[in-house]
Amino acid sequence: MKKINTSCIIDDDDIFIYGTKRIIKEVNFCEEILVFNNGQDALDEFKKLTDLGKELPSIIFLDLNMPIMNGWEFLEQFTKIENNNQDKVIVYIISSSVDPRDLEKVGNYEIIHNYILKPFSSKDLESILKDVTA
Amino acid sequence: MPDLATSTINLLIKDSPKAIAVVDTNMCIIGYSNTWLRTIAKSQTSVTGKSYYTILPDTTKSLQKIHKSCLSGGGHVVEKTKLIHSDGSIQWTKWKINAWHNELELIGGLIIVQDDITDEKRREDLLLKAESVARIGGWEVDMRSGVVYWTDVTKEIHEVPKDFIPTLEEGINFYKKGESRDNITSLVSDAIAIGKPWDTELQIVTAKGNELWVRAKGETELVDGKCIRIYGTFQDIDTKKRIELEYQRISNRLKIATDAAHIGIFDYDITKDKLVWDDHMFAIYNVDKKAFKGTFESWTSVLHPDDLAKSEQIFQSAVASSNKFDTEFRIIWPDGSIKYIKSRASIIKDAEGNPKQMVGANWDVTEFRTTKLELRRNHESFTGVFDKSNVGMVILGLNGRLLEVNKSLCVSLGYSHQELIKMTALDITYKEDIKESIRITKDLTSRKISSCHLEKRLYHKNGKIVHVLIMVTSVNDINGNLSHFIAQIVDMTSRIEAERRLKTLVEVTRGQNESLMNFAHIVSHNLRSHSTNMSMLIQFLAQEKGSNERKNIATMLSKAAESLNETVMHLNEVVQIKTGALEKMKSTSLIASINNVKDTLGALIKEKEASCKFDICKTHYVNVVPAYLESILLNLFTNSLKYASPKRKPKIKVTSKINKDSIEVHFSDNGQGIDLKRYGEKIFGMYKTFHNNKDAKGIGLFITKNQIEAMYGTIKIVSELDKGTTFILNFKKE
Repeated sequence: MKKINTSCIIDDDDIFIYGTKRIIKEVNFCEEILVFNNGQDALDEFKKLTDLGKELPSIIFLDLNMPIMNGWEFLEQFTKIENNNQDKVIVYIISSSVDPRDLEKVGNYEIIHNYILKPFSSKDLESILKDVTA
Repeated sequence: MPDLATSTINLLIKDSPKAIAVVDTNMCIIGYSNTWLRTIAKSQTSVTGKSYYTILPDTTKSLQKIHKSCLSGGGHVVEKTKLIHSDGSIQWTKWKINAWHNELELIGGLIIVQDDITDEKRREDLLLKAESVARIGGWEVDMRSGVVYWTDVTKEIHEVPKDFIPTLEEGINFYKKGESRDNITSLVSDAIAIGKPWDTELQIVTAKGNELWVRAKGETELVDGKCIRIYGTFQDIDTKKRIELEYQRISNRLKIATDAAHIGIFDYDITKDKLVWDDHMFAIYNVDKKAFKGTFESWTSVLHPDDLAKSEQIFQSAVASSNKFDTEFRIIWPDGSIKYIKSRASIIKDAEGNPKQMVGANWDVTEFRTTKLELRRNHESFTGVFDKSNVGMVILGLNGRLLEVNKSLCVSLGYSHQELIKMTALDITYKEDIKESIRITKDLTSRKISSCHLEKRLYHKNGKIVHVLIMVTSVNDINGNLSHFIAQIVDMTSRIEAERRLKTLVEVTRGQNESLMNFAHIVSHNLRSHSTNMSMLIQFLAQEKGSNERKNIATMLSKAAESLNETVMHLNEVVQIKTGALEKMKSTSLIASINNVKDTLGALIKEKEASCKFDICKTHYVNVVPAYLESILLNLFTNSLKYASPKRKPKIKVTSKINKDSIEVHFSDNGQGIDLKRYGEKIFGMYKTFHNNKDAKGIGLFITKNQIEAMYGTIKIVSELDKGTTFILNFKKE
């Protein structure tokens, strides 16, 4: 069932990271998990990977409210990275925000596959998996 | 006695017009004039040689004594005597008695000259009497001896006793101090110096303290250019003078009155057709005084043609009936303008009762007339407005009675006109508004206010409440006394009014809603983050068997709970600012607050080896909530220390300056700085952090901004990465 190689969590909330990692393992979602505490860290790493000719993670779980570089800023920068598998990357926004303005913004980014309201559960992961492998 | 002498004497005096008798030392007649023989001796015969006393037995003892003394000592005597004859008639005689000497230079006898001065004396008496009646006194000052003589009347006027002997100075001092005394002093001085006579009217104060008006006349007698005597009359003119002064006062008053009122006076002699105008008349009619002919026609020629016949008729009937003339007519000025004239006059009849003269007054009432016309016009337009207005209108009596109401109000309240004008304002006032209405009515009637503007509730006839806006204005009568009120009543229950109010309300609430919405999203986001974490952890805990992992999850759970608690506290802080205690704003010394915060952070400053420099004027006071100001400063200080550059020791500099109505504070550091291009507007957002700093909560600047804005201040930021940050704060001046 394991179709996904690497997924990535970009979130500043340690508890969320712990929980997500845990359910990823539970549902056997992917081989490898990359974790970044803000958009900037993730961007830096992705650039490094690209320079090394390596692929980017195929699924990104992105939080919106973060210090230094938030989710929206990250997306702005991320789309500019020229990586081979760039097109295959799927972004899921995972946020506590119920602000309709955030939901509206989602439509502006093709790369965003879905907006998932926290709490993030194993059921969510399973349906993602179904979507991706379909 | 030698005959020669006798005959010589006789020869010399025989024909003298005066009565002269010559006697020897024995008082025997040795010569006489014919006049004497006829008038004194009553034509007795052979008087020569006879004793004087034999011929004139009525000679008084005192005269005989004088004769005797003249004979023994010589000399010259003048004497006036009064003789009352047996028939009661009075004879006054003036005597001149001289001793004569013979060739041996011895006294030879006497020459007795006798003048009948009865007539003269009578005239003098009459004069005295006249003087006393007219209260004219005489006075005289002999400048050589300084002796002053006052007649009885003069003394009477001065109210001094008959034996009073004045001096010149005392005489002058009777004049009333001030103008009268100053005048008489200078007049007397002039008279003495240059012989100038005077005639003046002045006031004296009598010995008994009465004030009197007197006419003082003075003449001088000069010898060799030197004044030897001044004399004159002194007349009591008090009654006359007072009447004169009173008359003058009254006529002055009349003149002032007619001048001020521009009342013209005319006097028309009916029989002679002679019309006399005073100056005011010429001004009222705008007629040239020189061209004025002074006839009846002079008047009728300027009358307005439409008023001519009527005015003439009124004049004629006034003359015919001798009634008072009281009319109003128009005249045409030479420039063509029309004036309204009011005329009142009386007819004066001659001894036979025929009308002889008409005397009266004219005044211009044009202004009054035009005002009256305008008033009528105003009244008409007011009535028009009143009736047709869409606004309810009421004329309110001082007792609160509705004197007049318009249709609009009837419609608003559902009553008929007749019903309303029987009611009072309080009858239609909603019961909870009565107290306030009475208070305002009191203010209006006591003239504390002249108008007011209030919202109140009235009763509709059906008992429902009508919301109205009332504007009440007081109206004064012509004497400036409060007469009535006019109230305009706008029915606010109407839809338009409601809509208008709603619009404003929406406008105001929109802004509030927006900020509330933002806040609500932030709150929900933050609370949800923690709560979802907790629910997730609890789920794991339920599934987890491993004790180590369970411990780990429990630790995280308590951390999440703690975070949730912290968030709630932060939110509480924010809510407190929003609903905050702005009443606590007061004038606060900027430098004192800064020093205070610096002291609080003493340990941290020391630890970071930071240096502080404040350039704040001691007189700079800001209007703030002191606790907010300290919180703001504390946050800025800690930020500067927290985000200090690791490459250098922190330097904090605070300066202030005065703007138009604020005090501007610059708070600078040399810390890490912030990339404003990137974070710009988010700097002051809630839960925004920009450094990888463990302590960063993203709440400090959010609260700072809210606190400053709650105190009507502003905050801005200028920053450059790796150079430092400056916050520019503006606070309201005290």
